[in-house]
Amino acid sequence: MDEYALGVLTNIGLFSFVALSAYLLLLAGELSFGQQAFFGVGAYGAGIATAMLGLSLPLAILIAMLLGALAAALVGLPTLRLRGLYFAMATLAAAEMFRILFELLHWQVLVEGEPVGPDGTQGFRGIRWIFERGVEAEGFLAMVWTLLAAVLLLFFLVERSKLGATIRALGEDPALVGALGIDVDRFKLGIAAAAGALAALGGALFAHHNTYIEPRNFDIMLGVHSLAYALIGGLGTALGPLLGVVFDLGFLEASRVLQEYRMIVFGGLVALLLAWRPRGMLDERVVHWLKARFS
Amino acid sequence: MLSLLAFPATGQRVSAEMNCTFTGTDFVYDCVIRLTPATPGVQISVGADMPSMPMAHNIRPVKAKPGKRPGEYHATLDLDMTGEWAVKLRLSGALRDLLVLHYEFTESGTAPRK
Repeated sequence: MDEYALGVLTNIGLFSFVALSAYLLLLAGELSFGQQAFFGVGAYGAGIATAMLGLSLPLAILIAMLLGALAAALVGLPTLRLRGLYFAMATLAAAEMFRILFELLHWQVLVEGEPVGPDGTQGFRGIRWIFERGVEAEGFLAMVWTLLAAVLLLFFLVERSKLGATIRALGEDPALVGALGIDVDRFKLGIAAAAGALAALGGALFAHHNTYIEPRNFDIMLGVHSLAYALIGGLGTALGPLLGVVFDLGFLEASRVLQEYRMIVFGGLVALLLAWRPRGMLDERVVHWLKARFS
Repeated sequence: MLSLLAFPATGQRVSAEMNCTFTGTDFVYDCVIRLTPATPGVQISVGADMPSMPMAHNIRPVKAKPGKRPGEYHATLDLDMTGEWAVKLRLSGALRDLLVLHYEFTESGTAPRK
């Protein structure tokens, strides 16, 4: 496989984590424009853990996920009281606050005589755990897709369980779920924390893939993309966000002949698609039809 | 011109700098890369990503060709648009390293990031 194909497949895998994070919140009925913040928390957290504290990548990923969950819970505490557009705007504002915090973060240590660590807008260089251990692009791709497969398996198990049914019911009718004796606010907070941990996992991998991160990596564009992927792919199955990422990156790569107009064409296609299928390509109806057909 | 210091796996310190000129074709740039110290037997693969849209642009990496001077390499970058790009130099062969350089690509060439 050539370097280009490896890069595209790795990016599809990395994007999928943050798209799945947005998907999880969409299932619970919440539209978040702020999942890029937790992707960033994961990237910075894991980068600090390996490059500055000398920890191993698996431990750094665990720390990053915990930090992502904690950050998402902190954001969720005040914002999950809001509904609809107000929640969406609040998550966007919170994500911008995180990005500005990354810009203000200056903490460097000397590694082999050179400063390593976050340096505000100049970014954070030297996140070289993967590189220094000789992990080549194929190995990293395998790592990303193995973790993604594990996350998808977890989603499938959850969606077949009572927990999954409760999450979907919450997205449909929170008052009904509350009437069944479930603490809706606490339940949503747990979902937000899990979504934050998932985005942070993607961020940790992204930082080690790039070896360099900066606050601008985690701005609104990433949040809009991740939400769009979940909506384009569909809310009927966890494969939906993955399909959304493949559709987007695949279309953009296949339409290079359109040059700078391809983004405009793609935007129009997305608008038409969502007008035709508001819950995405793999929506609940299609998934039920597929299950009935092949089971 | 922007340069970057990095630590290769071999322990030797490498710095890289790059200067690009616009070719006249949309978003295509001829770039000259200089490695210091000049080390024979180094291959460079040049890729690029936009910091403000990470992972969304998949620029096909190109192999840089050795120039006439020691440590000098030439590569033609075909980008998606003007703006700030993080150029990734993947060194292999006699040196193994990964360097990330930041440039503003304009309609005339490259300028250091503001």
